Amino acid sequence: MSSPTLQVCRECGGGAPVDAHFCPQCSKILTLGRHGDYFAFLGLPRKLGIDAEDLEQRFRGLSRKFHPDYFYNAAPAERRASLERSSYLNDAYRTLKQPITRIEYLLQVEGLAPKNPQEASRQVPPALLEEVFALNEELDEIRDLRSGGAPAEAWKSRLERARRPIEAKRVEHEAQLEELSARWDALVESGAGERDRRAALEALRDRFLERNYITNLLAGIERELNAAL
Amino acid sequence: MAYSDKVIDHYENPRNVGSLPKDDVNVGTGLVGAPECGDVMKLQVKVNPATGVIDDAKFKTFGCGSAIASSSLATEWLKGKTVDEALAIKNTDIVNELSLPPVKIHCSVLAEDAIKAAIADYKKKQASEGKLSAVSSQTSV
Repeated sequence: MSSPTLQVCRECGGGAPVDAHFCPQCSKILTLGRHGDYFAFLGLPRKLGIDAEDLEQRFRGLSRKFHPDYFYNAAPAERRASLERSSYLNDAYRTLKQPITRIEYLLQVEGLAPKNPQEASRQVPPALLEEVFALNEELDEIRDLRSGGAPAEAWKSRLERARRPIEAKRVEHEAQLEELSARWDALVESGAGERDRRAALEALRDRFLERNYITNLLAGIERELNAAL
Repeated sequence: MAYSDKVIDHYENPRNVGSLPKDDVNVGTGLVGAPECGDVMKLQVKVNPATGVIDDAKFKTFGCGSAIASSSLATEWLKGKTVDEALAIKNTDIVNELSLPPVKIHCSVLAEDAIKAAIADYKKKQASEGKLSAVSSQTSV
């Protein structure tokens, strides 16, 4: 990694750590330029296990420090820096707050964002595709029944039956993501080598790719159930 | 973003929706998915054993309008083509025909993938069938 470790304060010209928010020399707010990532911005290691309360406190603390109200009478560059840091902070907090967007973000900053679609497609187990396809067909049939004016009793139980396996899959999938997240954190803590880290991230990505199928299906089922109300 | 007229036409009147008997030795089935959007696409071809030409093609896609249009168009193009000609269909042909915007190019990739998977399945079936019937065909030819 060749990311810079220092940034230059535009106010006093002094050097500051790349993830500092205020200049250690002149204590002015630093322009948001090149810096690390959401984790580093919040002073966190690049781990997936994040304590919600700790994150909240960090967010609130920085939020107060960057608040544009405090820079009302400051120079334009500082006012802009306060706005930029506030906005970046909001993005960082929103992304890291949810475990799912946190994983997605980690994969992105670690360079494991989706490759080309053809490759991604091959990483999804065929058995899952089969299952998803069959459930989609079942949903289609139920939709036809409903729009054909069939009484609710006729298709509601079918809908519930269709939901059970996919709901179970969602629970199982979440547990797998948690387990893989914990594995990643352990590797970060032990300072494991690039190969082990890469393998853990790839496993995480493969699991992560299955997520859209499961959530889309569940959303489809929910829509049908709500339409019944 | 606006869909082109051709996409809308295929979406509203999809051609060749349905399925072919999966266990038929002359039928090849391809089931593919796009993890980034959660789409699933099934495409099937039925090859005439005498001529090697694709007689029939069917699809069923659960996904966005572009994915449906891409697979619908693919089945139209497949009919009347030989297996090798079918493999020559490129996703860029689909992009051009349907004027797909850049964010929807992956839908055409999915369709090309589905064609390749269906043909591969057909070839696999034929190969294992060929081994089984090799003995009997020696006498009949």
